[in-house]
Amino acid sequence: MSTTKKYSTVASALRSFVALVAVLSLVVCVVGPTPEARALTVDKTTAQPNQSDGNQIIGGVPTRITWEATVGDDEEIKEIHLVFPAGTTLGEGANTKATVLDGLARLETPQENTITDEGTVIDFAEPVASGLLIRVEIFYVALPAESGHYTLTGRYVDGEGTERELEESPAIAVISVTVVESITQWLDEQPWVEWWNSQLFLRVFFNPQLIVASVPTLFQGWLRSLGLVLVGFPLAIPIGLAVSFLRMARFRIVRFFASIYVNVIRGTPLFLQIYIAFFGLPFLGVSIDSYLLGILVLAMNSSAYLAEIFRAGIQSIHKGQFEASASLGMNAVQTMFSVILPQTVRRVIPTATSEFILLYKDTSLLAAVGVMEQMMFAKSMVASSGNMTPYIVAAGYYLLVTLPLTKIIGSFEKKLAAAEGHSSEPPDKKKKRKRLQKTEDAPSDSFAPPHDNFRRGNGLMGPKI
Amino acid sequence: MSDHHEVTDKAVVRIQNLHKYFGSLEVLKGVDLEVRRGEVVTILGPSGSGKSTLLRCINLLEKPTGGEIWFEDTCITDPNTNINEVREHVGMVFQSFNLFPHLSAKKNVMLAQRKVLKRSNEEAERIALEQLAKVGLSDRSEYMPSQLSGGQQQRVAIARALAMDPHVMLFDEATSALDPELVRGVLDVMRELAEGGMTMIVVTHEMGFARDVADRAVFMDEGIIVEQGLPEEVFDNPRHARTRDFLGHII
Ligand SMILES: Nc1ncnc2c1ncn2[C@@H]1O[C@H](COP(=O)(O)OP(=O)(O)OP(=O)(O)O)[C@@H](O)[C@H]1O
Ligand SMILES: [Mg+2]
Repeated sequence: MSTTKKYSTVASALRSFVALVAVLSLVVCVVGPTPEARALTVDKTTAQPNQSDGNQIIGGVPTRITWEATVGDDEEIKEIHLVFPAGTTLGEGANTKATVLDGLARLETPQENTITDEGTVIDFAEPVASGLLIRVEIFYVALPAESGHYTLTGRYVDGEGTERELEESPAIAVISVTVVESITQWLDEQPWVEWWNSQLFLRVFFNPQLIVASVPTLFQGWLRSLGLVLVGFPLAIPIGLAVSFLRMARFRIVRFFASIYVNVIRGTPLFLQIYIAFFGLPFLGVSIDSYLLGILVLAMNSSAYLAEIFRAGIQSIHKGQFEASASLGMNAVQTMFSVILPQTVRRVIPTATSEFILLYKDTSLLAAVGVMEQMMFAKSMVASSGNMTPYIVAAGYYLLVTLPLTKIIGSFEKKLAAAEGHSSEPPDKKKKRKRLQKTEDAPSDSFAPPHDNFRRGNGLMGPKI
Repeated sequence: MSDHHEVTDKAVVRIQNLHKYFGSLEVLKGVDLEVRRGEVVTILGPSGSGKSTLLRCINLLEKPTGGEIWFEDTCITDPNTNINEVREHVGMVFQSFNLFPHLSAKKNVMLAQRKVLKRSNEEAERIALEQLAKVGLSDRSEYMPSQLSGGQQQRVAIARALAMDPHVMLFDEATSALDPELVRGVLDVMRELAEGGMTMIVVTHEMGFARDVADRAVFMDEGIIVEQGLPEEVFDNPRHARTRDFLGHII
């Protein structure tokens, strides 16, 4: 605990120091005298991105730092001392290598280098002549784990043996190491992971490091896919219900148009519908947010399926229910909402939940038109990693929703069968009793096949909506 | 003979020359029937003779093809009549009970009171419990239909119809779906109802009930009323061969 505290104090002190230096150098730049020609001008300082699925530099994880400087006119350089920012650590096999370049030509430069976690020293056997570029590469060095901008400082020794301060080098932006990165790093060092990844199949589909990296990234996609279906599906319910009413309407023409809606949507691929909506609407000058449009297309598609589910559900309700309601003087709307729909809901929950699952899986089709959802996230991770593992993780996320729902459907169906089979017993008394099996028109418990006698015939009992 | 309740002169249901076709099948071939306030009429006849169809025409569950039906001062076959208003006053009990399976016994009795008669929740509940008590089911008011025996379900169905304060009750083979030991309870309720002065049209195969409770027995065959009269006359001295045939088979 105390070490962490001390560490963060040091880090924050360092950060304010860096800030101070930055401000001071700015002041120097603006108001100070123009700096005299230097013996060594720092050209660049960079670090190689070491993020597993990105292009940033993370602290605490070994990287390669490249530092370049040009030797000034009439100067020679014998030694360079680079000082690492506090908190820098060395990875295994850390070393420093300097290359001297004359234009594009690489010059033979014997050198003797040392490296510690404080810094590195490059000692050239022969002084490096003026006008040459010195490129120092420091391998397997880990910048501080705390995020921030870090600079290399130091000194150099010129041809005359004078030691001079190095000018401030450009800062390297470092982001702090995340849980994922530290786990990934830990995995990198495990022998079993090494063995695992030496198996082609396991490496390509079940790469442990990529699993760890995919889980948090794809979580974003998972949320977005869930969002699509959690908004789209509830939207589809009232539309589907309305269409199912129209499908059973008294007027032929209304039924006709409702059936066209249902049959066209169910008879064409959702993929095609998505294309028509996403590429067709812009032609009409309509521009809708693609996520919203995705929801609308999904809702419309699902409403056609739900309409049929609801219709079958309503028509599976025994006609005696309509007659009993009618005989009590209830009108069509009262009958529908107080008697028929409450019974229908319980019957359609399993099929409607299956439809929910289908729709949830179908959100993936929206990847084709660039809606950010699970597939898009997985695809881009696969593209950047060249590995199938993110797809496997995406599959896991889909199953996370679909498997429990499938299980729920199963148990609900069982419960429903028990309830509709009249097998439940009175709250207080257990008593054997018979069902009305002798009745020729005993209420049907079966969901299918739906009979539609309330639409045909006298038209008195059917929903008149 | 039932002299325990009063039959008035006022007609509650009047059927004139009623015809009903199902497609090309003529099921009712000109039926005339008048039922007066307080009267208990039982309709007998072989299967397929059109008894149910006749009963269902009275509250327009079936739409008559021809003829007229009057309920009190309303011609219900007039297309301008709001049939739901008529149905409020015409109770019907079905062979298959047709309770609402998602509602408890009490809620079954309350629903139409609330929706159709717009009674307050408290009033509907009070009346529901009253009616359930009348059919002997006070202790079953919170049960779901699936937890009740057929006989109990049918009694709830009767309570449900009675809660609407009907002017006439139609019974279509109310006991045919029941196990023999459960029939009695339902018949007792119907008998009490008759004694209480309810106007009733009862399609039944229960000859004992028809004979004891009814003021009039109507025998139907092949879509017409073959003969009608006091139950003991029809049962003991049938004038028509078809009636004799039918009764011979049953009794
Ligand atoms: N909805 C219908 N569509 C077509 N035919 C029907 C319909 N309802 C009844 N029928 C026919 O009408 C005739 C009379 O039927 P109804 O149910 O009125 O007879 P019922 O006297 O009540 O017989 P049961 O004693 O068997 O109940 C029968 O031949 C029957 O098949
Ligand atoms: Mg019948």
